[in-house]
This record gives sequence, structure tokens and C-alpha cells, in this order.
Amino acid sequence: MQELGKAESNSIRITRQDDQRVTIEKDLDTEHMVLSMGPQHPSTHGVLRLECITDGEVIVEAEPYLGYLHRCFEKHCEKIDYPAIVPYTDRMDYLAGMNSELAYCITVEKLLDIEIPRRVEFIRVITSELNRIASHLVAIGTYAIDLGAFTPFLFCFRDREHIMNLLEWISGARMLYNYIWIGGVAYDAPADFKKRVAEFVTYFRPKAVELYKLLTENEIFVKRTKGIGIMPADVAINFAWSGPMLRGSGVKWDLRRNDPYSVYPELDFDVPVPDGKFSDVGDCLSRHLVRALEMEESLKIIEQCLDKMPEQQGFDPRAVIPKKIRPKAGEVYGRAENPRGELGYYIVSDGKSTKPVRCKARSSCFVNLAAMKDLSKGQLLPDLVAIIGSIDIVLGEVDR
Amino acid sequence: MSSSPSLNTWSDALSGLSIGWFPLGLVIIAAIPLVFIALYALTYGVYGERKISAFMQDRLGPMEVGFWGLLQTLADILKLLQKEDIVPKMADKFLFVIGPGILFVGSFLAFAVLPFGPAFIGADLNVGLFYAVGIVALEVVGILAAGWGSNNKWALYGAVRSVAQIVSYEIPASIALLCAAMLAGTLSMQQITMMQAGPGGFMHWFLFTNPIAWLPFLIYFISSLAETNRAPFDIPEAESELVAGYFTEYSGMKFAVIFLAEYGSMFMVSAIISIAFLGGWTSPLPNIGGLELNAMTSGPVWGAFWIIMKGFFFIFVQMWLRWTLPRLRVDQLMYLCWKVLTPFSLIAFVLTAVWVINH
Amino acid sequence: MSEYFSNIKTSATTIATGMAITLKHFFNAVKRKGDAGIDDADYFRQVDGLCTLQYPREAVPTPPHGRYRLYCHIDDCIGCRQCERACPVECITIDTIKATNDDLAACGKTSGGQQKRMWVPVFDIDIAKCMTCGICVSVCPTECLYHTPVADFSEFDVKNMLYHFGNLSKIEAEAKRKKLAEQQVQAAKEKAAAGDAPAAKPAPKPKPAAPPQE
Repeated sequence: MQELGKAESNSIRITRQDDQRVTIEKDLDTEHMVLSMGPQHPSTHGVLRLECITDGEVIVEAEPYLGYLHRCFEKHCEKIDYPAIVPYTDRMDYLAGMNSELAYCITVEKLLDIEIPRRVEFIRVITSELNRIASHLVAIGTYAIDLGAFTPFLFCFRDREHIMNLLEWISGARMLYNYIWIGGVAYDAPADFKKRVAEFVTYFRPKAVELYKLLTENEIFVKRTKGIGIMPADVAINFAWSGPMLRGSGVKWDLRRNDPYSVYPELDFDVPVPDGKFSDVGDCLSRHLVRALEMEESLKIIEQCLDKMPEQQGFDPRAVIPKKIRPKAGEVYGRAENPRGELGYYIVSDGKSTKPVRCKARSSCFVNLAAMKDLSKGQLLPDLVAIIGSIDIVLGEVDR
Repeated sequence: MSSSPSLNTWSDALSGLSIGWFPLGLVIIAAIPLVFIALYALTYGVYGERKISAFMQDRLGPMEVGFWGLLQTLADILKLLQKEDIVPKMADKFLFVIGPGILFVGSFLAFAVLPFGPAFIGADLNVGLFYAVGIVALEVVGILAAGWGSNNKWALYGAVRSVAQIVSYEIPASIALLCAAMLAGTLSMQQITMMQAGPGGFMHWFLFTNPIAWLPFLIYFISSLAETNRAPFDIPEAESELVAGYFTEYSGMKFAVIFLAEYGSMFMVSAIISIAFLGGWTSPLPNIGGLELNAMTSGPVWGAFWIIMKGFFFIFVQMWLRWTLPRLRVDQLMYLCWKVLTPFSLIAFVLTAVWVINH
Repeated sequence: MSEYFSNIKTSATTIATGMAITLKHFFNAVKRKGDAGIDDADYFRQVDGLCTLQYPREAVPTPPHGRYRLYCHIDDCIGCRQCERACPVECITIDTIKATNDDLAACGKTSGGQQKRMWVPVFDIDIAKCMTCGICVSVCPTECLYHTPVADFSEFDVKNMLYHFGNLSKIEAEAKRKKLAEQQVQAAKEKAAAGDAPAAKPAPKPKPAAPPQE
């Protein structure tokens, strides 16, 4: 018996029997259906569009289409001064504005080669870790909504509200801060800020445990995410994954440890990596778990920063901010650990202009999303939703 | 139960009332359950669900329209009435229009056999339970018509999922209800309730007279969630996956009708479970010595009160579950039905049979 | 088989845990968080209970330097145009007219005591474009540009989002412009009369008063 030919989708088989008769077998033929998921779909987290070719509920192929939120960030940067780019970086990853600002500012500071006051460094770390918690809360909350649990989402947003209030207090804005400036921060922390942040940490710890019990340990949630969308560590590295996505695949890679910046070397914190007991390493649950555990690590970092932050009366956080930023000619690549992975800026200066000649952003979730096609192959439609949710995309950063 | 004959004569007199050729009395009697359902759906179904979900999520819920937002549902209905009734151009118009109708009729037909009191029952069929289980299957036709007629891929997904789910879960649900029927020895809803009435209040309920009854009770409760497309089995409408499932394309009053049908069937399954296992309209309070609590809280009005309260309790549990749990996946749903609930319901069936034979 | 039963067991226990949590919140719904601001000492006092604020009647208080609606106190504006240049989204439009010497007194001083040398007939902020980044505020030398804590300023017509802060009406501005041009022509004539000056330039457009700071 010899197989002569196979039509596409394996529905028709032509075989030659031993007695030279040719038989044509035809399965119950099912046609593939093209399903356009998004850009207005509840679980595509904004304006992502996935063109899915489906066989029943099984995804044969899912192709992400991007660009609905493209705002020419990089071209804009060539037209505006260095300090004016900072509010634009907020608008890239609008859920973690502080982290984006920090990444951009340390890049330009690298180019300018200036020394930052120690208190400013601590303020920067505290605010960006607070923002990391806020961002992870949104990631976890929306992931819960993707999987049908509405209540954890609102619990997450309730706690995020406190972080936004704290950040509004220190920076003046709730989401798009423009707080971390090149060479400093916009304002010094208010007098009671340290106390209130400490209160927040004690407030949030039990809430995080409650969230863990309500969502992460829930058997239905585990069943929906465990073993779904497994990404082996080597493939993840080849896809240039970073952040919780890469750590979810079991690679202990965190820029705060591996390429330290700011005051992170002084701080004691773990890089949580799934051990494969509760989840299969590399699946959606691992990625979710990494985020859930990272919030605790961020709390630890904040606590240490509160202890170590030097108190200075009448401190001027704008003291070393250069009046006119005109870096020497050259190029620089700076990166920082965003809640979604490595956020890097590549800046070229010609030494004459107060505007960068080129400012390229290496966006973490754009790179993470690139694996979507591989991850979704052969999954069910509900699993596709689980996978998109676990990538935790922010379309503002994907499309820029 | 002494007052039941008087209610019967009263209702007989009412049904005899007619103005000329017009049978006004019959219309009024037919309108009573509809009015009740509309009131229930308005107050408890929609408003209650919004408030309960809000309180579970540390929110306030509707607060603006009326005192504590009591008139919010009315405002919503008015909004839905004003909305344009859109029928998509490429939709199968006939199926699209009759889909919600079938759904609505299907979910409310079962109310005919629900006893709301010792004498208050639409039709005391001797196969009442069987009828109630069977008539729910009509909903499947409505859902399929709505999903197919919409000519929308998401709606089709929702409809196909829903049909598969409802048809599958009928099996454990029916077997679990059969356990109750076996304990009562009858299929008549009224008689099943009568079997559980007595001076001991809740002690006569099947759930407490029988050491195995909790198993079919639990199985039926879980299956009823799936049959009414409630979370965690709301995969047919799975808002984050399928946009809105089979009613994606519906708007205006058709959408409201679908919602009303959903809340109607929620109350129906809650009433059935309380009739089959928790004594329907019988009072839970026992007579303690000389204090005749049970006798004091029985009667036609109390009967309606108790069954509605029991129904509301189960609806509360349904909402509570909905606002706690994530959603299952289609294959997990089927796993739960065929590999967990069905075998356990068969075990429960056999155990109940053994128990009934030995008593 | 044991996995089958342990699965059922973990499902039941975790679902029960979850339900206990939501029920706890349900019963905690009698408490409310209140609208203490973040700078309030008892902000974290009430940790359980409802956290909704009913917006028009209750609101989260805005902190001292909350950046909301941009406002220009035009009496202090010296017309240096730094904010216009700093704005990344170009939402500020400024037109200035140099004050003639006899007008300096009318032009007045800023609250800081600095002599104003410019009329600012047009100071428009297109608040619909403004992204409240606060860069203009940070460059303003007289601190006349600042954010107010007014958070709710929606409008039905987008034209109403264009805020005019100029300190001269159109007719006044025209008069001042004419006066300046006349004076400049006069000055040129005087110079020409002196003999060695080049031909009079046409009335120059107003230049920014303060040079960009280095």
C-alpha cells in the first residue's frame, strides 16, 4: 500500500492497493474558515487584529496585524528636544509610564555622562517599582477577564487606584507622568510620601495573597492555563523574548540583575522563575505566575528603598538637570526592565542639535508578540485568548 | 393546606368571569405569572444581579436612577425600547426574528408545571417533571436559530457551543432529577412537593431525609448552571472569546427578550431544584413542641413566598458562582459532563434505588 | 484514578476558597472607603468595603501639584515665548507686540517686579491638543503658566477648547501694532536724517524678547 498524494488539509488520500487498484478516500470535508478577531474584540487588549484561519474551533494559523495605534513615535522624536520626548515615552507603554521614562532617561544620561543624585535614584526606583506593580495588576486583572473571571479584575483595579493616587501625588499625573526627567525628577517626594508608600506595602500584601487565592490557585484557572502555549526556553531566546515572558520559560534573565542600572545592585530581591511544580515551565500559567510573584519582589524592593533613601531637607531634584541638552556626537543603546520585558532606546546624536538624529525604541511586547503565530498553531479558540492575555501586550508600545 | 380549596374556588370563579364573549378571567389568570416574571426579572434578575456583583467586587452598582438605583432596570428597558431594531442585511431574517421568540417561549413554558402553592399551579401534569426537563430543550432550537440566522461567525460559534452544552447536560440533569422522582414515586411536581410536606419542616425534604440525595442535588445544580448558560459554563456567550455569543447581532427589544428568557430559565431551574430536593412551597420551619411554626407559615401565600425565596436563594448562589469563577473551556466542559457528572449521576441513581427499595 | 479524584477535590476546595473570598467582600459591602485624599493621614485606614466614589458629588481630591487644566495668568506673562517653543504638541500660540517706550507704564510689571516689554494680544492654548506634560510650566520664567486642579472641563464644541488668554482685544492690538510701526518708521527716519544709517527696514515682526537661555 502506497500513498500517492495528499490533498491539502489531509482530507483526500489517494492510495494504491496491493493489487494495483487506486483508491481515493475522502474524509468528511471541513472547510477552513477565516475569522477576523479584532481590532474591536474584547480580548485583544486594544486594537490588535488577529486573522485566524480556523478549523472548527481549532486555530490553524493566527496572523497578528498591527499598526492600528501607530503614532510615529520615532519620527516625532527627530522633531522635538530631548526632554520633550519624555512625555511621548509615557504614551508608548501607557500602563508603565515610569518604567518607560526611566529607560529613556538612563539612555540619554549615558550619552550625556552625568551623575544623578542618590535621592533621585531612589525616588526613581520607588516610583518605577510602584508602576511595575500597577502594570502587573492590570496584566493579571485583564487576564482574569479574558478567562471569564470578572471579580479579580476589579480587585486589581481597586489596588491599582492606590498606586495611581500615590504616583499622582508625587508626579502630578495619574498615568502619563512626565516625572522622571533627564538628570533628575520633576519634583521632590512630598513629606509624607515615604510613610504612605510604606502603608501601601502593608495594605497590599494581604490583598495580593487574596488575589492569589481567588485567581491563581483556582482550579478552573489552572486548567485553562496550564500546558497552554508552551514556549521552550531556547525558542524563547531565539524570539528575543524578555521580561516575564522569558522568565516564564525558565530563563533567569532580569535586566535589573543582569545589566544593572540605577541602584538595583544595592537591593536584595529574587528573580522569580517557575519551578515546574505548579505549572509546566513555559506555559501561560508560568507567565502569569511570574507576574504574580514579581509583585511581591517589587514590594520588597520598595521597602528597601524606603529604608535606604537619604533624607535631605530642601532637596532640589532638578539640580543637575542640564539647561540645554545637547549631547556629544555618538550613539547609545540603553535598556531597562519594563514590566513587559526589555525596553531599550537607541539614540544617535550628531553633537550639534538639541534633537536626536535617530531615536529607536526596542519595544518589549512587540518582540514578544512576534511569537504569536508559533504559539497559537493548533490551539483552540479559547486557548488563543489565554495566550494573547499571557503575552500581556500594550498596543501603545507594540505599534508606537 | 386548609386554605387551598378556598383559593381553588376563588380561581375557578375568576376563570369563569367574562365580559360578553371575552374571557377576561382567563386572561387575568394567564397574566399573573407573566407579571410576576416581569417583576422578578426587573427587580431581582437584573437589579439584584448588578447589586450583588457590585458588592462582591467592592463597588456600589447602580445608584443614580431612583433610590439606590432601583429604577435603573426600568431606565434600561426604556432605552432598549427606543433602540432601533436592527436586522443585519445578510441575516436570515426569518430565523433571526423567531430565534428570540422560541427562546422566550421555551424558557417560560416550564413555568406551567411549577407549583407556587398548595393550589397555585398552572397545570398539575402527572408527568410534570418530565415535561419541565423536556421543554427546556426547546431553547436549543431558539439558540441555534438565533446563532445561525445572525450570519455571524461568532454567533455561530456560540450557538453550536450552546447546543452541544445544553444537550449534553440534559443527561446528568435528568438522571439527577430521576433520583428525586424515584424518592417521591411520582413525576407530578405537586405530588413531589406534597411528599416533602410535614410538620417537621425542612426535616421532610428529600435532601435531609435521604443520605444520598446531596449527590443528585449537587449534580443537578451544576448541570442547571450549564443548561442556563451561567458562569462558569457561560461559554456560549463567553464575552471575551465570542464577543457575545449567539446574541452578538441582536439589539433593542430582541436583545431584551433574550435576556428575559435567560433570567426566566434561571428562576425555572432554581424552582425545579427546590421542588425536587428542598420541598418546593413547603415551609422550612418545624413545629417545636407547642409552637406550631410550620402550621403558621403554611398556606397559599406562604407557599408562594417560600418557593420564590428558595428560588432566589439558588439564583443568588448562581450569581455568587458567576462572580467568583473563571470560565471553563469547551472540552473541559464536556469532560465535566461526560466523565464526572454522568458517571456520578448514575451512581447516585443506583444508590437511590437501593435506598428506596430498602425503605 | 487517584488523579481523577484529587482533581475533583482540588477543584472543590479552590472553588470553595474563592467563594469564601467573594462572600466576605459581599458582607463587607456595608463599609465604605470614603474620599480621603492621598495626602490625608487616614488614607489607608479603611482597607475593606466599597471603594466607589460617586463622581459628581464625591471625587478623589487632587493633590497640590496635580496637572490638569493649563492656565495662564496673563498679567505675569512677559511674552518670552519659551513655552510655545518647548511645547511638544504645539498647542500654545503666542503673538507679541513690542511695547513702545511711552507704553511701558501701561504694560505694567509682573508680580515678581519685572518690567514687561511685550503686549501679548494672542495667547491661545488649544486645551484639546494639550497633553498636560508640564514642560511649558517648567520653562516659564515668571511662573505665570501653571496647571489648575480643574479636572472636568469637557465641552460640546471643540472650538470651546481653544482658550484665549491674550491681554489685548483685536482693535487694541491693531492700534498698538500701528503705533509701534509708526514709531519704528520715525526712528528710522531719525536715523536716516542722521545721515549714515542704511535705508529703513520695513516694520519688523516682533521678536522674542528674551534670548534662549543657554
